[in-house]
Order: sequence, then C-alpha cells, then structure tokens
Amino acid sequence: MDQSPSEVPYGTLDLMVLKTLQAMGPLHGYAVARRIEQIAQGSLALNQGTIYPALLRLEQRGWIESEWGTSENNRRAKFYAITRAGRKQLAAEAENWARTVAMVSRLLDEQS
Amino acid sequence: MWTFLRIASSRVRGWFRQRSRDAELSDEIQAHLECLADEYARRGLSRDDARAAARREFGGVEHMKERYRDQRGLPWVDSVLQDLRYATRTLRRSPGLASMAIVSLALGIGATTAVFSVLNAVTLRPLPVPEPDRLVQLVPQHQGKRWILFNPIFEELRRRQRALSGMFAANDEGFVPVAFDGKTAVYLRASSVSGGYFSVLGLSPAAGRLLTEQDDQIGGRDGCVLVISDGLWAGRFDRDPGVIGSSIQVRTDACTIVGVTPAGFGSHRTGFSPDIWMPLRARTDPKLLASHTMAFFSGVIGRLQPGVSVSQAEAELTTLYQQIQRSEPPSSIRADALIMHLAPGAQGLDTLRTRFGQPLRVAVSVVGVVLLIAALNVATLLLARGTARGPELATRAALGAGRGRLARQLATEGILLVSVGGAIGVSLAYAVTPALGSLVLPHGLDTAPDGRVLAVALGASALAALLAGVLPAVRLSRVALHAGMASEGRATASRGGQRLTRALVTAQLALSLILVTASGLLLRTMIRIAGIDPGFQPDHVVVLQVHDETPGSSFNTPDTADAKARRAAVYRSVEDRLSGLPGVRAASLSWLTLFGGSDLWLAMIDADRPESREQARVDYVSSRYFDTVGMRILRGRDFAADDREGTPRVAIVNETFARQRYGGDAIGHRFALDYFSERNRPLTVVGIVGDSKYNDLREGRIEPMVWVPLAQAPSRVSSVSLRVAPGREGAVVHRAEEVLSATAPQVMVRKVTTLAAQVDDTTSRERVLLQLASGFGGLALLLASVGLYGTLAYTVARRRREIGVRLALGAQRHTVLRMVMGDALRLVGVAVAVGVPLALMSAATLRAFLFGVEPRDAATLTGACVVLAMVAIAAAYVPARRAADVDPIVALRYE
Repeated sequence: MDQSPSEVPYGTLDLMVLKTLQAMGPLHGYAVARRIEQIAQGSLALNQGTIYPALLRLEQRGWIESEWGTSENNRRAKFYAITRAGRKQLAAEAENWARTVAMVSRLLDEQS
Repeated sequence: MWTFLRIASSRVRGWFRQRSRDAELSDEIQAHLECLADEYARRGLSRDDARAAARREFGGVEHMKERYRDQRGLPWVDSVLQDLRYATRTLRRSPGLASMAIVSLALGIGATTAVFSVLNAVTLRPLPVPEPDRLVQLVPQHQGKRWILFNPIFEELRRRQRALSGMFAANDEGFVPVAFDGKTAVYLRASSVSGGYFSVLGLSPAAGRLLTEQDDQIGGRDGCVLVISDGLWAGRFDRDPGVIGSSIQVRTDACTIVGVTPAGFGSHRTGFSPDIWMPLRARTDPKLLASHTMAFFSGVIGRLQPGVSVSQAEAELTTLYQQIQRSEPPSSIRADALIMHLAPGAQGLDTLRTRFGQPLRVAVSVVGVVLLIAALNVATLLLARGTARGPELATRAALGAGRGRLARQLATEGILLVSVGGAIGVSLAYAVTPALGSLVLPHGLDTAPDGRVLAVALGASALAALLAGVLPAVRLSRVALHAGMASEGRATASRGGQRLTRALVTAQLALSLILVTASGLLLRTMIRIAGIDPGFQPDHVVVLQVHDETPGSSFNTPDTADAKARRAAVYRSVEDRLSGLPGVRAASLSWLTLFGGSDLWLAMIDADRPESREQARVDYVSSRYFDTVGMRILRGRDFAADDREGTPRVAIVNETFARQRYGGDAIGHRFALDYFSERNRPLTVVGIVGDSKYNDLREGRIEPMVWVPLAQAPSRVSSVSLRVAPGREGAVVHRAEEVLSATAPQVMVRKVTTLAAQVDDTTSRERVLLQLASGFGGLALLLASVGLYGTLAYTVARRRREIGVRLALGAQRHTVLRMVMGDALRLVGVAVAVGVPLALMSAATLRAFLFGVEPRDAATLTGACVVLAMVAIAAAYVPARRAADVDPIVALRYE
C-alpha cells in the first residue's frame, strides 16, 4: 500500500477539531492545526488553511464558539472553544466513528 | 431543524456583515501565517524562507478565503445581485429595446391574466359555500331531451329521496318592485327559493336568521318573511342590526326582514346576486303549485349525502322520478324514458357558462398567442443583440466564466424584463379585470383574483421567462465558448445562432397569421351583419323596457273587462303625451320588444277554415308603432286612433304571413287568435307590412307575424318606444320617464336603451371578439415586424463588409436591396407555410361566431397572408435600404 500521507476523509476534520478543542481547551486556529498535525505524525496531508472553513462550519452549527484574544507570543488571535452542544455532538460522533471503524475492521478481517 | 435555522441565520448575518468579517478573516490568517513563520524561523530558516514555507504549508490563501466566504454568506444571492446589476446596466444602455420588451410582455401577461380572471369567474370559480363540490344540479330529461320538473313531482321527489341531504328549487327575478318606508317602489333583484335553500347551501346568517322550511308553507303569504343580502343591508341600512324585524313592501305585500345573508355570498347562480330572498311556495299561487303544465322555477340543486356518489344518487332519483310519473294522471310522457341527470353544481345553476364559456375560451387563446409572440419577440431581440456582444462573452468565457455562469447572467436579462413586464401586466390586469367582467355581466360577477388566477399569472410569466430568458441564454453561452476572441465581430454569429433567431422570427410571423386570419373572419362577419337590412329603422329610437306592475290578474285568471278598459285608457294617454314631447316624432307602446329576445307564438283560427291551427308570431302594439320603429306598410292601412274597443277588430300582418296563408293578398281576410277570450273574436286584416328581422339580424327565415292593436286587446306592455330627432335621445329619455311616472306610475322602467343598441347587443360577442382579435392581432403584427426588422438590421450590419466588397466589385444597388428583401420574404414564406395550417385549425374554433363566411374562407386567408407579407416588406425595407446604401469605401475601412 501507498505510504504517502492520505487525504483527510470527508467529515473527519470536523471530528478532529472538536476532539482537539475538547482535549486542549480554547485554542486559536494555528494551534488547532498544529495539534492535529502532531497527533497524525505526518500521516495526514493537511493544508493548514482548510482548518478555517471547518471552524466556521462548526461555529455555524453552534458546536464551538470564538472570541478574539492574545496568543502566547503576544499576537491578536481568535480563540475557539467547544460548547455544550459541541461536546454532545462529539460524543455522538465518536461513538459513531468507533462503530464504523469496528465494523470496517471486522469486515476486513473476515475477508482476509 | 434548529441546526439548519442556526446555519441559515448565521449565513444571513455573515452576508450582511461581509466587509468587517472579511477583515477579521484576514487578521486571523495573518496571525496564523506569522505563527507558522516563527516556527520555521526557529527551525533555522531565514525570515523570507520561513514566510514562504509558511505560505506553502497554509495552502492557497485566496482559494481558502473564497471557500470561507461561500460558506459564510449567501453566495448565490451575491451572484444573483451581481447579475441583476449587470443586466440593469446592459438594458439601460438600450432603453428602446427594454421598454418595447417590457410593454409587450406587460400586455401579454396582463391580458392573459385579465381575460383568464373573467373566464375563471364565469366557468371555474365555485360558489362561496362549504363543500361546493358536493352540490349537484338536477336536470330532468325525457327521451334524452331537457325536460321540465313540475312542482308536484318536485315535492314528491324531495320527500321520498334519500341520496341527497336536501334539495331546493329557485326562481330568479331581476325586477321586483319594493317600497321602503312607504316611499315609491324601486326595482330589486329577488330570488324565490324553497325552504331547504340555505341549509342545502350550508350558509349561516350575517344577522338574524335565514329562511327555513317553516317559512315556506303554501299560502304563507300573509306572514310574509324575507332575507336581505349583505349588500342591501350595507347599502340601504348601514348594517343596522335593528333592521331585523322591520317591514318592507314587496309588490303589494308587507314583508318582514328576518335576516341577512353572509357577505361574499352571491346566490345559487354565478353572476346573479339578488337583493332579497323570499320563500318560494309561500309566494306562489297555490294553483300554480299544483300545476302539472306550468313550471315556475328555473332550476333545482341538491347536496349529496356524505358517502353517496353522483351515479348512486342519479340511479335513485331516476327510479323515484319514474315511479312518481307512473302514479300521475296518464299523459304523453313515457315514464321509463325519464332520467334525472345530475350535473355538477359547484357553480350553482349554470347559465353564464353556456353563454360566455366559449367566447371567453377563444379570448384566452387570443391573448395567449399574443403572450407567446411577445416572449418570442423578446427572445429574438436579446439573441440578436447578444450575438453582437459575442466578443465580450467570449472574453468572459476565456477569463474563466463557466458556461452555466454565463448562461445565468444572460438569462437574468430576459428574466428581469419578464419580471418587470409581468409586474406591470399583473397590476394592469388587476385594474382592468372588473371592467372586463362587467362586459360579460354588468354586476355580480366576482372576478377577484384567486389561486387559479395567480397560478395562470405565474405560469404565463414563467413561460415568458423561459422563452425570453433561458432560451437565448443557453444559445448565447454556447456561442461564446465556440467563438474565439480573435474573430472579433465577424464570426461570432455562428450559423446555429442565426438559425435560431430566424426560427423565432418565423414563429412570430406564423403566430401573427393566426390572429390576423381570425380578425379577418370576424371582420367579414361583422361586415356581413352590418349589410343586413333589418326591415325597420333602428336609428334614433329610444326604448324604455318597462313592466306594468298593476296588481290584479294572476295565473289562469284573465283580466276583467273593466281592468282592460282602464288599462287601454291609460296606455292611450301615455302614447298621446309622449308623442307630444318636443323632439319626439312618434311614440308607441307594445307588448313585446323588438330585438328584446322574447317572442310569442299563437295558433290562428282562420274564419274560412275553422279547423286550421297555423302558428304565427304575435305582438300587441299601439297605433303609432310602425311609424316609431320604421316599418313600411306595403298595402292597406296602418292602425288608427279609431281602432279601439267597440270598433271592428283589425290586424296587420307581415308579407310572409300574407304570402303563406293567403297567397299574397291578405287584406280583408279574417282569423282569430287561439287564446282564451280571443277565440271567438276574429280580426280582419287591414294592412301588410314589409318583412323584418325579429330577434337577430342573422335569422335566416322570416316568420309569419301578426300585429293586433293594443287598444282592442290591452295586454300589459313591456316596451315604450320613441322615435326622436337625431341627437335628442338623452333629453327625451328624462321627459319620457317623467310622463310615465305622472300618467302611469304602475308602469315601471326597468332599462333604458335604444333600438339600435338592442340590435347591436345580439352581436356583441362577435364584436368584442373582433375588437380583441384585431387589437391584439395588430399588436402581434407590430411585434413580429419589430422582430423581423431587428434580425434583418443585425444581419445587414454584420454583412456590411461583404456587401461593400460586392458593391466594389460592381454589384448593383438594387441587387443588394433585392437580396435583403428576398431574405425577408423567404422568412415570410416559411411563416405562411407553417401559419396557414395553424390559422385554419384555429379558425375552426371560431365557427360559432362566424356569419356569412366559412372558417376556411380562402379569400380571408389569402388576405391575411398578404397583410403579413406587406407588413414584413415594410419592416424589411429600412434595413434593405441601408444595405443598398452601403458605401464600399467606408465599409471596407470600417474593420
């Protein structure tokens, strides 16, 4: 199998952002992107810019909220935090994800 | 759902705060990039390299922003607004085209909506009652022909049937004299209805109560009750609730107002809105109620029981009807040939539909064709102009505008025109529909727009938008992609685009031919009708349609001799005093009205052949009648003042009567009218008048007719005619009404008109259709010629250089002229080939309105084609001239 970094599967970016915000507390866009890259350890090709449409999407749905603040190196930055609805959504999505993964791996195991 | 709403509201907010949000986003991205650059710098890259690396890692900034914006705001609103701004700007640059397009679309959409509103009111709109679809009309038939339901059978049927939850009979009267507070009586419209009327219709009163079965008992005339309409309540009583219980005088009876019908309810008949409702049985002579030969109501309506189908009800009612008929005294009616047919009753008793349904459908088709032409016309003009914009479009396409995006932008122009035109058209329709409706019916027609009207208005606009907006857009956007920018203005008109434009122009010409042909046929009809000699002189004759409201005689009981003598005296004095009015040349009274739609036939008992019973039309007239209406006495003498009660009884007959009965010379022959007291009192023929039309100019055969002096047989008159000096009509009417109310107050005026108007009224449908077809036919021709002109003018402009080369090489100017004209005539040729079959098909639907000309009339069709060709030549001449006038030198330098 090809070892080059895979594309971000559709919809999982939202999930990753939510999880990151839940785990780390309020972060600005750069920190979110960085954190996701660190976790993925190079196995994900992420244009950092794509994080912003995702953040907007989540905010429009009311799962995260944003506020302008000052970053650790004294820059003006917009900080995003997960909301209650976001936590609920994350729980549901995570469970859904786990089920899907389990199902797919069972399928793959059986066929091999 | 909540999520959806939250996203939507966020997007709308985002759309409104675009600028500040854009700045925020830029800040955010800037911060991000700097963080990234810091990171790279820490890893040891130079400042510039770090920045470059940061950008690389971030990805396309503008691309991201674009996505972000699309997601944040309402991108389609943005692009629609952009298109609209662009379209407005483009159209403003050619105001002539824009206003022409808007006016023609407004007329097309407006006329379609207005005429459909009237058609809707006449043939589609149900009565404003609950569940109108459950109403049925009871239509008795005997051996397949419409039969009459006499009251005793109606009562029996009503009592025994179970399929209907109720049924009622109604009789409508346009003129019932009613006096309020003992003042002079005025005419009101009245419905006499049987007791179940309001419960079957399912109405609740606006005040008081409505009529019930208890009100409708035989002989209930003494405690007469009635219900008034909401309109009368508002108009005369200012909606005073205290009017309930008060009394008004209907004819000779004092009747108590017990309630008011709900607002918006007209009656059981489309287009008839009575002022009062009275109980039918209570108001009808008991002898008439028991009659098996005289009917006194115009129709019966029932409401189906829940769950009962029309066919079930029909079966039950037919069985009962036959049973009841069998138990009746024997007659010529075959009980087993009787059927109780149930016709849809949602519109109530159907009268308007039969009269106006067909002409209105024709009218809707006419305006529909105009709408089609208008839309095609706009499409042609946009297409022709759009083709000229080829280079611009090609540039846009080259700069990355997708075909869909281009098409949408082009379509916006057409759709903008249609929207403006449609809005103007629909407001126009809203304004003129009541007036149009009153052409069909002077009052009582509810033409207020409803869902159906709205649907038609929208549908018409959508069709126009499709043709005028989408069609050229799709075509042009394709052209734009094909055309290279390098080709400048020349090659951009691809052959396909040209072909489409020419097809559109041809279609307009072909459709115009339909309307021109229809106008031609109707025009010839009207000319034929105008050429008919009615046999009398209808000009300058004022007619007062009246009714003698003297109480007295009733069903089966003729007037007493005394009453007749009094009446004769009153009529004579009316005639004398009217004849003496200034400006009046002759005045007379008559029983019937010429061209009034009524006629009476009686059998004649010839004195020499007592067994003969030949029928003839009869009228009773006062002595100056023939002078008044302008009929000529051919032989013998006119009636004279001496022809009165006590002198020998006389009659005047028409030529046809004299010829058919007496071989020409009827003078001196004697016959009696087969009618009650007349049977034994023969009349002597003293004069013969020339034949004349009676109720319609188109009557093919003249019927035998007899006139009897009113003084010798004083029937109640229905018409007062005055031959007046030209121009004195208006002045005379007022004086005549004064004379009538002073001399004979019981003779009440129902309608003031002229004989000429009565004659014209019989062909009013044809005339209105002619006006409509010719007016819109002219518009259609104008539009089509503008389309043709535009197309040719564009072609000529495009071929300027080619024409210049030809001329430079020695071509003659008239050859060039002929080339362009020939081009136009080829289009006309195709249009005629397509249009003639269409015109023939459409003409067939006009058959009912034509007279003296066949729908397939070759001369008319040829004439229409010639008109079309001439208009086309006129439209083509200017561009052709311009082509011939091309200066080769200028043309060759031009590009």
